[in-house]
Amino acid sequence: MKIMVCLKQVPHQDARLDINAEGTWIKEDGIKFEINSYDQYALEEALRIKDAGEAEVVVVSIGPDRVTQSLRTALGMGADRAVHVKDPAIEGSDALGIARTLAAVAKEEGPDLILTGLMSDDVNTAAVPPMLAQLADMPHTTAAVKVEQHDGAMRVERELEGGALEVVDLPRPCLISVQTGLNQVRYASLKGIMAAKKKSIDVKTAADLGVADQVGPAAAKIAVEKIYTPPKGEGAEILSGSTEEVVQKLVAKIKELGLL
Amino acid sequence: MGSILIVAEIQKGAIREATYELVSFARRVAEATDREVKSVVAGKGIGTQAEELSKRGGGEVFAIDGDTLEHYTVDAFQHAVQAAVEAASPDLVLFSNTPTGWDLAPRVAAALEAGFASDCFDLLVEDGKLVFLRRVFNGKLDARLVARGTPVVASMQPGATAAFEGTADGKVTALDAAPPADSLRVKFVETRVAEAKGVDLTKASIIVSGGRGVGAPEKFEEVIKPLAEALGGAMGASRPVVDAGWLPHEYQVGSSGQVVAPKLYVACGISGAIQHLVGMKGSNFIIAINKDPDAPIFEVADVGVVADLFEVVPALTQAVKEAKGAA
Ligand SMILES: Cc1cc2nc3c(=O)[nH]c(=O)nc-3n(C[C@H](O)[C@H](O)[C@H](O)COP(=O)(O)OP(=O)(O)OC[C@H]3O[C@@H](n4cnc5c(N)ncnc54)[C@H](O)[C@@H]3O)c2cc1C
Ligand SMILES: Nc1ncnc2c1ncn2[C@@H]1O[C@H](COP(=O)(O)O)[C@@H](O)[C@H]1O
Repeated sequence: MKIMVCLKQVPHQDARLDINAEGTWIKEDGIKFEINSYDQYALEEALRIKDAGEAEVVVVSIGPDRVTQSLRTALGMGADRAVHVKDPAIEGSDALGIARTLAAVAKEEGPDLILTGLMSDDVNTAAVPPMLAQLADMPHTTAAVKVEQHDGAMRVERELEGGALEVVDLPRPCLISVQTGLNQVRYASLKGIMAAKKKSIDVKTAADLGVADQVGPAAAKIAVEKIYTPPKGEGAEILSGSTEEVVQKLVAKIKELGLL
Repeated sequence: MGSILIVAEIQKGAIREATYELVSFARRVAEATDREVKSVVAGKGIGTQAEELSKRGGGEVFAIDGDTLEHYTVDAFQHAVQAAVEAASPDLVLFSNTPTGWDLAPRVAAALEAGFASDCFDLLVEDGKLVFLRRVFNGKLDARLVARGTPVVASMQPGATAAFEGTADGKVTALDAAPPADSLRVKFVETRVAEAKGVDLTKASIIVSGGRGVGAPEKFEEVIKPLAEALGGAMGASRPVVDAGWLPHEYQVGSSGQVVAPKLYVACGISGAIQHLVGMKGSNFIIAINKDPDAPIFEVADVGVVADLFEVVPALTQAVKEAKGAA
């Protein structure tokens, strides 16, 4: 089985988010990046399928130079190959542009299974996976919390609301977006990291993939006009003072509530 | 005159409340831009639900009825929704950002080669143009989106506006667009409700919850649990804590965990992402302890402490014990 895993590199969850001068995105210089949390679970799931049988795991990421590091990490964890789509022309794409690019990679790779994260921790759109499935003409499901093979198909438990689950069968090739907590993500071992040095990262441009006119701001059907700090509502009463003072104020509040 | 198409959702046999929130949004846009509101209801035996929606603001409701639509599958529902899109030729297609919405909306958008605005909390019309507001970075920042051309597909956050309550007469148009069974790839197997075991947080009157900021499983034992015990309450957690295996799933508060409304909720090291907030914002009194003054949790809290939880929580535990001893 060939598994394609879509990895996005996003600002580290604890990175300071300052808005850029144009007000259109955050300042990216000087902050740390990491593999999107959901995508780490997608990669782990692919590696588990590989460990349990026979599979080739190809990781794919669209992004600038810095993405190389995340791809190296993925190779160190056990992925077999990496495809890095690197092209400044893709910057400013909407989800559809990203999905078109990934669909072009999928066309070249011909995977039996595509695993992605449910959503990315930066834009939070959860749009790319179903779009990619549509463009690659595959069935899909989202928010998987369990993935198994069943009668030649993929049996997936997907998360609904309030603890409810839905079980669906998808024939391959198919796409599954995964929810966090689906498995426990491994670390790259030293041996893995050494082995990864020999593994290849194919670098491709939009033109290589034949999508040059379908990506970037000009092709985008929707655009972020600006980002901003959410307007503050009335909000909480912020207690000030030393730890001792603050704690006494909290105790007083809890007493007022009749809970002490 | 263009139109707006609402993709209705049925839950437990009735039109879902979130669908009527879409009606509110759609009618607002319809009025400002002289468009018509239309809806689509797909399912098996959904005549009465379609009727109900047509009387509560759904406009012309396309009812698509068939055996293959008994359970949600992406194949069958995509087929139905796109048939309605063809019938209504909308400029704007609205979904709710529910498990069905997030599964289906982007796929329909891609099929229509449309712009897609995901999980919006507001939809405005400015100079006749549609503007979408949504959160990014898990609620830390907001974004303003504009569409370039039509159609546009958007999904709206449940609870973002009040449900439409009035009456407004529309009509039901039956659409013969249920897909044939042999065209479907995805197979529905079953739905299940994860059995509740162990702690039932919904019964606790005081909950002390820890988030990713607590940092390690043993810190729950050392810092969070003692405060919960001193207050005579229960311990809760945000999702990353459960995902990491620090605590079992039954401790999770939020949209995919338990929805709680205790007399007192203490959030420690929790940022306040929407999926957590929907699980606890009904609490009578909320105390938030977080070192980031901009954490969204402070927007729903009654009282906030901007500090390191490892300093404040143990001191609070001690003070609570002393207060109890004195009483
Ligand atoms: C479909 C779906 C369902 C979901 N369901 C749920 C759900 O049911 N429940 C849920 O909680 N989430 C849920 N999530 C995840 C949600 O989006 C957030 O990712 C999650 O709530 C974040 O958890 P957190 O606040 O603990 O972590 P973070 O967002 O990482 O926040 C950690 C916070 O700790 C603070 N902090 C760090 N160190 C300290 C310190 N020493 N002292 C004080 N403060 C500190 C930081 O400032 C930060 O604000 C769901 C997501 C999706 C997409
Ligand atoms: N630039 C990218 N490169 C690779 N995969 C991506 C990229 N953007 C999004 N994805 C995949 O799509 C998922 C959902 O992302 P999004 O639609 O941006 O919320 C992510 O978890 C990734 O698996």
